[in-house]
Amino acid sequence: MGVTIEEARADWVGVEFETAQYTIEEADLLDWATSVEEADPRFVDPTRDDFQAHPTYTASLTSFRMLPDGFPELGNGRGIDGGKAVTSLAPVRPGDVLTGHSLIADIYAKTGRSGTMIFIVHRVNFENQRGEQVSTVDSRIIRNSD
Amino acid sequence: MILDLHTHSIRSDDGRAKVENYCQWIRKKEIPLDGFVLTEHRQFDDDSDYRGLEDRYQLLILKASEVETDYGHVLVFGVNDDLRQEFDFARIDNPIGEVLEAAKRCGAVAAPCHPGRPNVGLFAHYERKPEVEGIELIEVFNGGSRPGEDDWSVREADARGWAGFGGSDSHIVSRIGFCATEFDDDIRDMDGLLTALRSKRFVPRTFR
Repeated sequence: MGVTIEEARADWVGVEFETAQYTIEEADLLDWATSVEEADPRFVDPTRDDFQAHPTYTASLTSFRMLPDGFPELGNGRGIDGGKAVTSLAPVRPGDVLTGHSLIADIYAKTGRSGTMIFIVHRVNFENQRGEQVSTVDSRIIRNSD
Repeated sequence: MILDLHTHSIRSDDGRAKVENYCQWIRKKEIPLDGFVLTEHRQFDDDSDYRGLEDRYQLLILKASEVETDYGHVLVFGVNDDLRQEFDFARIDNPIGEVLEAAKRCGAVAAPCHPGRPNVGLFAHYERKPEVEGIELIEVFNGGSRPGEDDWSVREADARGWAGFGGSDSHIVSRIGFCATEFDDDIRDMDGLLTALRSKRFVPRTFR
């Protein structure tokens, strides 16, 4: 018998399973801001004192595994990308060194027109070299439960 | 007065609308709503306080829940501490009979929503399971319905003598007010809404 949602929640939610470090480069920030067609000079003019990463920039730091080793086979198949939600908590600037802590933030089921779906929320909490939390990126994996 | 009885904010996992943006949209577009009810998925929002927005935009903003049952989704108006002890709002398989009975016992009103919708509508379940007792009203107009779904709901409600109300089921700002409910009474709070729902002094409205 497979693992239930409740069992998976109890075993895996909150479990941190990976960390990674990133040195923030000015060119990367400009590339990202340009790619999302940002016009605000804070994000596209590196000569300004308040130049900083676009609030969604940390979503591009994606070297993390989505699920930890040993994670149960919930649902049917590998699932689809359920999108990302980025919460910006403090400015990220060139030269910053960010450390991302990866964990399973939530596991839940919901029913809809297309049946029952399981949502697995993978979260990365980013902190800078001063230990300040600067961003949270939630990625949802959707699996059909049938 | 006209209330949209079925809306979702960013408190729901699939909601993309901030409550203030709903208020701004209603006023900017002159949508004929006097207020709306936030029915967040699988939870009751204890934390949010919308009294400031009510005053600023002169709108009634009430909080309820949309829970999931073995017969589809059900709106619960008048959620209180007693009711929250009765069943797990986060589950997707609450027995509908227990939800209806618990709501009645705790002074709330529970009503199936989008009953004509596949998989999560009451009537889809009637095709393979026994009918449910204790239903008195259903959502007959839902802003997210596809053609034919609301017609089915209206026919079934008429056949069973159930009252029907309307709600947009909005998850984004621009969908609020697609469907709503017009009440005979002047409703000022959740108690007033419960009284009006029980008295059945209302009609469903669609503005699509």
